[in-house]
Order: sequence, then C-alpha cells, then structure tokens
Amino acid sequence: MDIFVTGIGAISCIGMNVEEHLSSLVQEKSGIKKGERPFSTRFLVGEIPLTNEAIVAKYNLVADYSRTSLLGCIAASEAFANHKRDKRIRTGLISGTSVGGMDISEVEYKSYLNLGQHNIQKYKAHSSGNSSEEIAAFLGIGDFVNTISTACSSAANAIMMGARMIQQGVLDRVVVGGTDALTEFTISGFRSLMIFDDQWCRPFDETRKGLNLGEGAGYIVLESQASIDKSGAKKLAKLKGWSNASDAYHQTASSPNGYGATLSIQEALKVAKLQPSDIDYINAHGTATPNNDLSESQAIINVFGDQIPAFSSTKAFTGHTLAAAGGIEAVISVLAIQNNTLFANLNHSHVIEETKLQPVVRTTKVDKIRNVLSNSFGFGGNNSTVIFGEV
Amino acid sequence: MKAVIHKIVSINHQDCFGKSNVWENLIPIQAGSAVVAPDYKEYIPAASLRRFSPVLRMSLTAAQSLKTDEAFDSISVGTSLGCLKDTEKFLQTFIQATGDTLSPTAFIQSTHNTIAGAISMALGNHAYNMTHTQNSLSFETALIDGAICLNDGKKNVLVGAADEAIDFLEQLKEEMIQTALPLTSGTTFLVLKPEGEGRKIIDCQIRFSCTDLDSEIAHFLEKNNVDPDQLALVLQSNNLSLTLGKQQINYEQFTGLYYTSSAFALHLANDFQKHSDDFVLIVNNQMNGKLGLTLIG
Amino acid sequence: MSNLKETLKAQIIEQLSLEDLNPADIQDDAPLFGGDGLGLDSIDALEFIVLLETHYGIRIADPSQGREIFYSVNTLADYIEKNK
Repeated sequence: MDIFVTGIGAISCIGMNVEEHLSSLVQEKSGIKKGERPFSTRFLVGEIPLTNEAIVAKYNLVADYSRTSLLGCIAASEAFANHKRDKRIRTGLISGTSVGGMDISEVEYKSYLNLGQHNIQKYKAHSSGNSSEEIAAFLGIGDFVNTISTACSSAANAIMMGARMIQQGVLDRVVVGGTDALTEFTISGFRSLMIFDDQWCRPFDETRKGLNLGEGAGYIVLESQASIDKSGAKKLAKLKGWSNASDAYHQTASSPNGYGATLSIQEALKVAKLQPSDIDYINAHGTATPNNDLSESQAIINVFGDQIPAFSSTKAFTGHTLAAAGGIEAVISVLAIQNNTLFANLNHSHVIEETKLQPVVRTTKVDKIRNVLSNSFGFGGNNSTVIFGEV
Repeated sequence: MKAVIHKIVSINHQDCFGKSNVWENLIPIQAGSAVVAPDYKEYIPAASLRRFSPVLRMSLTAAQSLKTDEAFDSISVGTSLGCLKDTEKFLQTFIQATGDTLSPTAFIQSTHNTIAGAISMALGNHAYNMTHTQNSLSFETALIDGAICLNDGKKNVLVGAADEAIDFLEQLKEEMIQTALPLTSGTTFLVLKPEGEGRKIIDCQIRFSCTDLDSEIAHFLEKNNVDPDQLALVLQSNNLSLTLGKQQINYEQFTGLYYTSSAFALHLANDFQKHSDDFVLIVNNQMNGKLGLTLIG
Repeated sequence: MSNLKETLKAQIIEQLSLEDLNPADIQDDAPLFGGDGLGLDSIDALEFIVLLETHYGIRIADPSQGREIFYSVNTLADYIEKNK
C-alpha cells in the first residue's frame, strides 16, 4: 500500500513555517546564534526568537500550554491546515517529544528547591503524553493519540508508527512528527556530557567538537490513497521506507562501526524496495559530535560502498532539535524532492580523516531527486531511518 | 489482533515475581508498602546495577527473566512518567550546582527510553525498540505496537510497562493526583507470539475522550463477537463500578497508583482460570475519559 | 600522598556509586577503565571530571585528556598533586 505525504509543517530557528525554512536553506542562512534566555546565554543555540506569550498572542493558542506544546501546535496545524475534517477518515496524531512540559516543571521545581514554594497545578503540563494530547485537541484529532519518546529518534519513530498503522488499516490518516522546546534541563544535560561546541557546529568536519542545541517542531501528514479519495488532499511526496534498529552498544555513544545505523539504513531500503543506488540524497543525523559523525559515516560506507549519494547534515542550520529533529528533517527531505535541491552541510572545511566522505557544502539544484533517506539516531542506541520519494 | 501471551512477569508491591499464579497471596496494597524485589544482582551485573534507579532495576530484571535463546524481534515499552528518580536527581544537580561541571549519569538515565535501551544493551538485542509515553494509556499503546509488530511478521515480541513513584509525588497527591490509593511502582513484561499455547489478547482499543463508557464497551464487545455474559471477569480501574460480566474486580487495589498498572491487570487476566470460551475484559479509565479496553480470551 | 590516595578511593566509590566496593578493594596501580580494571566506562570518565572539580578545584576542559589522567589511582593522585 502506498503511503503519501499530504501536509508538512515546521518551526525552528530558521523559519516560522515551511516557506521560511526553504528560503533559509536556499540562502544558506543558519539560525544558530548566542542564546537569549537566562540559561542559554553561554551557548550557541538554535532558539526561536519568540517568548511563549508572543507565541500565544500571535497564533491564538492556549496560554498555559508548555512551550513544547505551543511549538507543536504551530507546526502540526501548518501541516494539517487545509485537511478536510471528515468522520469517515480515521485520523490520529503520533508525536515525539523528549522534553514534554519540562520547560514549565523545571521553573516550578527550582522555586520549590530554592524557596520552598511551587504552583502544583503547573506540573500537569509535565508529561510527554500531555503535549501530544494538547496538540491533538488543538487540531481536533481524537481517534488516536500516541507519544513516542526515544530521544533524538522520536519523530522518525512517530513517522514509522503512523505508516504501519495506515498499512494495517487501523488508521487512514495520521499527523506525525515531533516537538521539543529548549530547556535548562536539556542545556544542562548536554553540558554535563561535554558534547557542546562553543563555536558554530561543524557536521562531518574533521575538526568538529560537538553540537549546538536547537528547538522546534516538525510534522507531516500521512494518508492512504483511500483516505485521499475522501479528503481530496494533494500528494506532496511518498513515504516509501522506514525502520528502527538498536545499536546495543552504549547508553549515549554510537558503536564505532555504526552497526545499529547500518541495520536501520539497510532495513529502510528493504521496506522501500529500493537499492542503495536509488537514493539521491541523504539528510544525515549529523549532530557534529566526534562520535556520531564518524559512526554515521561508517554506516553510510557500509551500505553504499564507494557509491556514496550526495549527503548533508542540516543541523548547522537548525541546531539539534532533539525529538523534533526527525520531523523537521522529514519536512526538509520533502522540500528537497519538491525542489530538486540538495541542502548545504554548512560550516564544512575538512573531510573526516578516517572516512573521507565529502558532504554537499553548497545548496545545489540538481536535475532530479527521486528518493531521500533521512537518519535520526537517539540515546540508548535507538537508530531510525525514513525514506521519502517523489509521488 | 492475533497475539498469544507466551510468558508474563511482574515486579511490584505484590510478592509475585516468578510466581506461576499471581492471584495467590494477592493482598490489597496499603500505604507505606514497598516493592517486593528479587535479588537484582542475579539479573544485572554490578557495573550497571550501581547506576540504576528502581524503575530500571525492576524492568531490566523482568525483561532478563523472560529471555531465551530466541532473540526478541521487537521490544515495545510503555511508561507514563519515565525515569522519575533520575529526572529529579538531575534537576537537583543543575539547580543546586556550585561548580561548573555537572554529574551526567542522572541526565543520561532520565530519558524515557532508558528502560527499553537498557534492555537492548543487556540482551545484545538489535531489533526494533520503541518507547510509548501516553499517560495512563502508555501500556495499551505499547501493546498495540506489539500487535502491529506481530502483524508485520515478527514472531517473538517483548512488550512491557514500568513506572516508579518518588517521594516528590506525595507533594502533588492532594492537589493534583487526588487519590486514596498509595503511590506505587511496578513493572510487567510479557512475550507475545503469533500462535501457540497461552491466553490470547483478542483486541486492545484506546479512546481519548470517552463520554459514554457503557456504549464504548458494548461496541467493543460487539466488534469482537463477545457477549457480555461470556465475560468471566472484568478488571476495572478504581474509579469505575461496572456491573458487567460474572465478576468485577478493581485491579488498582492490588497495584496502588501508577499509570501503567493496567499491565498488571493483564497479568491478572492471564493467570485467571479460564473455562472453555470465557473472556476477561480490562477497563482502564484511570484518567477519566482516556479509555483503554483490552479483551483476553 | 598515601592519604590522598585513600581519600580518592573513597571519593571514587561515592561519585561512581560503586556500592559493593571498599577503598581496600582498589589497588593503587590497577587500571580503572576497561575490562581488566574496575570496568568503568566513558560515563564514569565524565564523573571523574566532576570529582576533580568538586573536591580539588581542578577543571578539565577536554574530556579526551581523561584517559591518561584517570588511568589508575596513582596517575590521578599524581595529577592532583601537580595541578592543585
């Protein structure tokens, strides 16, 4: 059964909507800069330059939603904007998040620790499941809501689960993706791992030192043909393949031989019934950590041999948006297909010595992009790959 | 759904780990009770055990106890609040930091998928590995995922759920959680196969804004060609008082309150004596209106 | 110096939650990392960096320096003596 992408929506430091994302990608304009929140001023981050209050006012959203929910509502409603509400079309939302409402909880908990007072009702926003329910309520989706929380692979896994539910006839249409706001918790967390770069990150570069964190949300709408027959939605791309595999190596590091990543890429190709040579562009996970980029390069070599497709990481544009990454990058993958354009791996000067893979360093229009492979790898050795193709 | 429960284990405040029938020695949970834990050292090497919070210890032990020579070809875990102890610990770490460096272990273990990830590492398992966090329906969504995996052709599927209580939750109890039940911890893991000996999970369905419970249940049973008279047992969450079926038991009295306790209800259903073609229905309405219905044959 | 080493062993046990060990179980010259040693890993290496700052005010900016410094209690004690 074919699965079609009929909607895309994104918000990150490079754009408040899909059109702005495309413009930034084409102009090679990164959104990473010095943070402006009290807990982010020490770092280069991909922050969305709006406070929660400004977001609520601008988009007419619910005032006490967490920032994660707010960003999710914006991107998911962009993706689902023109879709027909029809009771015959069983519609779900599957959203990935790692932060959930922690942006609210950490403020209350800090007040509890430092001052002995907190507003208990505010903790209601905390759970990951809550953010998905709020986004679903905002979109008017009630048939099925689920939250996937597998760190940086969450959105890709949400896409995969949605596809399987459509294929097995449980749902007809599903909004899938992920959202994560920047929080003091995650900034402190990555600081404790000592994997930040204090400069602008350099994915797949020999001198790379670490990642820059970002925030955002990215969602796509998946539908079966039968659903499109009722909804009349426009087909933007096909979701052809998906997979998830475990590295089973270490809680945070990837195996040097990229074993789990190799498995997920191979399995996604198998599901898509494609050969490696059918892939015209890889949107890599490419966080710019010494470990990921080497491991992922190795996995790419394992699968593609000496016929490496054009590839890039777009995280030097957006920062690493954690659970949202797979969703934002799904949108970017669809844009690549729609525009026959490879997007730049910014800030690259030297190939990695060990693997010598050369990413695409300028945004480049090409004759045709038939299929795009997108990787998202999370802590716990959770490796996910999705493949999009032209309609 | 075509899912046979091949094996199932639980660790919680009941003395039930490794017992062939969890109904024996079942007691209502009182305030102040604790998890009845096995010797975790028998299941988890010291190098990992030293770091692990209670929820990680219990779920990894449960999963380890189910492993055989046949590798699981998918792993789906549900958790509503995840690794709370490590989450709180890391909050304390960065909020109260005096120096510049921060201890990373609690952060690393605070992500919800630490449970499923730790299982894959301990078992050397490279298969599909998913973590679902949909509040009181986290177990049901993990179970639905497991069933999807079976439909996809998988043959040896591990599904489970776990949640832990921390002291801080007591602060929230009066104003937010509002329950008479003690706040507890627990895990249940099961192996599902497409066929073979064992109780069958016939269907599992979730609803997000259930306004007419009786109608939802009636429809669910009808969809599965089961007459209410064929229900030998209805296991319901504590806020319900259904009169359907031959016997009704509120399962939360045996689990205390954690939001994936419907997994233990499944264990109770599995171990409940089956006579010919009777069925067990689990009705999880823990968070009012968020409904999980599971039918066991 | 031997006082420092005994103190270090207790601090290591605490920082890394090595619940089953006593300071007497850790040899001064035994490799701390890898299969032959206490079996510590890269997460523990980061915890060592926290230990050094918290107890000795020494900052290590580059985690990759850790391998040499944290090889054994001896090398760690030497480093502290030289840098405190």
